[in-house]
Amino acid sequence: MPRRKLDPLPSTAFQILLALADRELHGYGIMRQVAAQTEDRLRLGPATLYGSIQALLEVEYIEEADAPAAGEADERRRYYRITALGRKVARTEAERMAKALRIARAKKIFGGEHV
Amino acid sequence: MSERLFHVLAGLYPAAFRREFGKECAQLLRDRFRDERGFVARARLWVNLILDCVVGVPQLHVAARPASQPANAPADGSMFWMEDERPLRPVFFACAGFLSLTVFGSLLVWMAFIRYDRENSLSAFLAAQPRSTKFHAHAVAGAWLQAERPPDEGSRQSGAVLLRTGLIMSPQINTPPPTAAAGEPHVEDATKAMVEAFRTHSIVMFGETHANKQEYAWLWSLVKDPAFHARVDDIVVEFGNSLYQKSVDRYIAGEDVPLEQVQKAWRNMAGAVGPVSPVYGQFYKAVRESNQMYPRHPIRLVLGDPYADWSKINNAEDLGPFVAHRDEWYAQVVKDEVLAKEHRAILIMGAGHFRRSNGPGLIERAIRAAGQDPYLVVFGTNVVGGYDDQDPRFDAWKTPAIVSLAGNWVGDLPAMPVLTCGAAAVNGLKMSDVADAMFYAGPRDTLTQVNVPAAELQNTEYGREINRRLMIEMGRTMTFTQPEETPQCHRPARQTVVSGPIGPSPLPMPKSMNDPLPPRPPSQ
Repeated sequence: MPRRKLDPLPSTAFQILLALADRELHGYGIMRQVAAQTEDRLRLGPATLYGSIQALLEVEYIEEADAPAAGEADERRRYYRITALGRKVARTEAERMAKALRIARAKKIFGGEHV
Repeated sequence: MSERLFHVLAGLYPAAFRREFGKECAQLLRDRFRDERGFVARARLWVNLILDCVVGVPQLHVAARPASQPANAPADGSMFWMEDERPLRPVFFACAGFLSLTVFGSLLVWMAFIRYDRENSLSAFLAAQPRSTKFHAHAVAGAWLQAERPPDEGSRQSGAVLLRTGLIMSPQINTPPPTAAAGEPHVEDATKAMVEAFRTHSIVMFGETHANKQEYAWLWSLVKDPAFHARVDDIVVEFGNSLYQKSVDRYIAGEDVPLEQVQKAWRNMAGAVGPVSPVYGQFYKAVRESNQMYPRHPIRLVLGDPYADWSKINNAEDLGPFVAHRDEWYAQVVKDEVLAKEHRAILIMGAGHFRRSNGPGLIERAIRAAGQDPYLVVFGTNVVGGYDDQDPRFDAWKTPAIVSLAGNWVGDLPAMPVLTCGAAAVNGLKMSDVADAMFYAGPRDTLTQVNVPAAELQNTEYGREINRRLMIEMGRTMTFTQPEETPQCHRPARQTVVSGPIGPSPLPMPKSMNDPLPPRPPSQ
């Protein structure tokens, strides 16, 4: 069952889905977006990045896309976009994290800080 | 650096992953090395890459295993099990980091040693060449004229030679006679050898012989080879006027471009005299078809001939600067379109432009100055002396073949007869002096040249335009009576001068050959 390959969704794969949530990106664009999302804590190397992309393609959470028509597009690179299934999985994962956050707040795990 | 590093990393990846994402991984490394500069950023990049090897590569191999999984893998088959469910302890990182640093350090030392060894070899070769060179000219059969100039003279000289007389200038160098034959050559399938060359070189220079049927049949198949297509980003060709790069980009991408527009690229060259062989248009078509076969990584056809607009050329003065600067322009195109983008490319140009004489030629020097180490393959024949001196040792070869010229009897053969079917005399240069490898398409008498069908020239617009250009360049016209195929090698009328279909020009050299190239117009 290939769909079970990324269940539960690893954090790297989740970050990649988030990076692709609002636009199509090529590999290096994904790496930079993930680095920005994680405040530079997660910089994906080639094996990790493309290993994750390969797995996400296999389970059809993302798919290849044509290069954007905008002038900055590099036609020689492969671009990726999130699929409807991938968006649904990312939303489920975000909701799971939000739920955990609510529980953490309820248990005052953050002390007095507002998170 | 990124290219070398990727060659190291690529060996660690599973083969299927390498095929699917090898290009992207290499591009990622190029991007990161380009953008992450400075000591801190670069140190962080190295740490990141080492961790990526330690953590990511094993995951790739686990994911690549089709059925069996490690005993401690999760039942759900997640490839991320190591990262998510069994995070590595710091001691693992320390051990793996130490091992990785040791391996990387060893590789860097090894690469530095190889480079040092090569540079010393080149220096020794250059030091061994005598300073005194003298030049003699000889014409070479063929409708397309080539020129090569001495290394210490400007290219205007070569252009002048080309425009005025259509001669190849070959250096007469006082090098020692060839020594006794060394070892046996390793004769490789040409496609396999070319693909292998890109494992160790980002740039491969292929010195072709013009209009040869057997050679171009192989080149058409080469561009459709999946391994070649996967490894090469660009093909830079002499047989393409860079004025038409835009049309060719669209054509190669599979768009509907009228043939009348795109064929201007190979028919309107500054460096071509006479009708242009159909093998070149067929090559463009082969690249287009190859890109349709492998759309994920299209190869770009980069046009290396100067941007002469024949509709605005009315006399030799108009044409002079374009002819005079052909090699410089080709080198500039390679620098701008290939080297600056850190692409891998095969460069195709007449062997006379590429072959070394007293060290690398202008184009190879420009590539080396940019930090690349190109691999040079030239078209050669089995003629090793006069026209009738065919070496029987070639008869056992399976063709088309490529042989390395280092340390074997092929490398010891006299270069000029082998390169010109015996039209040029022995001058002391050995094959190993002029190139790294030789492409062999078959024995002398099996080689054929493909010509434009006479019906496409007689009383046609193209034929009239060809004669207009011949009048401008050569001061004469020609009748179009050649059959569609003719022998590639012609028995020389004299040892050093061979009359081709278009003989030497009686016109004086245009003064504009001393002028720089005019501003480049927008691509069409």
